[in-house]
Amino acid sequence: MSGSPLYCTLAELAPDIRAGRLSPVRLVEEALERIRLHDGALKSIVHVSDSALAAARQAEEDIAAGDWRGPLHGIPIILKDNYLTADMPTRAGTEAQELEFPYLDSGVAVRLREAGAVLLAKARMHEFGWGTATPPARNPWDLDRTPGGSSGGSAAAVAAGFCIAATGTDTGGSIRIPASLCGLVGLKPTFGRVSRAGTVPHSWSLDHAGPITRSAADAAALLDVLAVHDPADPGSADVPAPDCSAALDRPVRGLRLGVIRNYFFEEIQPDVGAAVEEAIGDLACLGMSVTEVEVPNLGYGLGAIFAIELASSAAYHDRSITEGRTREFQPDVRALVEIGRMVTGPDYIKAEQFRRVLMRDFARILEEVDVIVTPTTPLTAWRVGEIMVEVGSRPESALAASWRLTYPFNLTGLPAVSLPCGFDRLGLPIGLQIAGRPFEEALVLRVAHAYETSRDWRERRAPV
Amino acid sequence: MSGERTKLDPFRDIIGLDLPPDRLEELVAQYADILAAIARLRELDLTEVHPAVVFRPLQNAEEGA
Repeated sequence: MSGSPLYCTLAELAPDIRAGRLSPVRLVEEALERIRLHDGALKSIVHVSDSALAAARQAEEDIAAGDWRGPLHGIPIILKDNYLTADMPTRAGTEAQELEFPYLDSGVAVRLREAGAVLLAKARMHEFGWGTATPPARNPWDLDRTPGGSSGGSAAAVAAGFCIAATGTDTGGSIRIPASLCGLVGLKPTFGRVSRAGTVPHSWSLDHAGPITRSAADAAALLDVLAVHDPADPGSADVPAPDCSAALDRPVRGLRLGVIRNYFFEEIQPDVGAAVEEAIGDLACLGMSVTEVEVPNLGYGLGAIFAIELASSAAYHDRSITEGRTREFQPDVRALVEIGRMVTGPDYIKAEQFRRVLMRDFARILEEVDVIVTPTTPLTAWRVGEIMVEVGSRPESALAASWRLTYPFNLTGLPAVSLPCGFDRLGLPIGLQIAGRPFEEALVLRVAHAYETSRDWRERRAPV
Repeated sequence: MSGERTKLDPFRDIIGLDLPPDRLEELVAQYADILAAIARLRELDLTEVHPAVVFRPLQNAEEGA
């Protein structure tokens, strides 16, 4: 291993940690030092744990005593600030003083601690997950640009080498968008695969929990730990979890790749389009057959996700609205929460009917192909404060553009991963999205891993 | 004239908040863009489609509140 271990993958670190060649305490100390040195500019962290070093010492002692718990043991991980934690405050991005969140471990925090991970810090997020820019966090590839959101702090922290992996949540793209904009791997598992118990809700039927990592193999390792049925989450699915890590190296030759030409390739930046086309060619070179397919009805999705997200968020914040606490919310978030009350009952139900139509459309496609590839975002990281951007042939709101290609997989609940597939002419990362059938994360990650190991995008580091 | 309802009053009733007129007008204007997307969804005939949300009495009772 050369350079900082904080830029290594779990597969590179775990053998050294297990063998005592790499100290979890030194790893955590180095992570804390990097946060101290660089987060003033990056603003990705909202709280650093007081107990992280003690947890690292405990991990080191346990491993030395022969009690190695697996590849996450002794590994520093940062949680998005909407995951409850027993030893750190949770704010879900809000500064509303009257709102308090309990000091309890979320289901994900429990699983990570059981696996021996060191929960290092909480990452900045947009208030209650609204928006896709995560102010004031900055992108490590260019400090004048946004890391995306709403898990922007999580992605910025991983890209800057503050930790080995982070968690995010994804309601319309909030794991995959920042992963794409920061040159990382972001996995939105199938709805129900990872527990959301103890995460602050945004929209119950759209919210997903998942990892942001440096490689597809690391995402698989985290999913292997997190994919457990949790009765505390009513959306948790009681389905067997495959060993994603073990499936990674199986060949992809003969698998069928679907390219949805309508919708996903309309109005995208030319550099994004070129990089994704090249990635499709690379996957074909790996032996996958490529089929062009069409998914009808995608153009109706925006109304559906608006209706569900706005109505759900208004319902979650109902007491805050009626008791006047929303006055302390950011103006844009307060407005969205309040106008959620304008969504009519029939519109909400129609959105839920539409989801079934879209699920059937994708199910039909996924009989013909094994996975689908698309760009993750139609654009690369935009400048902080930029409202309108040039995407394809027309100006478009940056926020509207950023989630256009990700939210269909929140409406359908299908697993989808974003991974780097190149850089634009400004040197900003471009993301490739791979989606698959329900609960087939192992296959999605296997294809991602095959592509990733055929290229060297992961070797490039953000300048911070 | 006191007691006369304005065009914004139905929105005030729907939102259930006694917001000042300028604030309410701002929210209604912001909702217009969202409503345009929802209006597109309304064009679909989904009469025969069951919503994705399914009520299951036994499961829901076991899960509790």
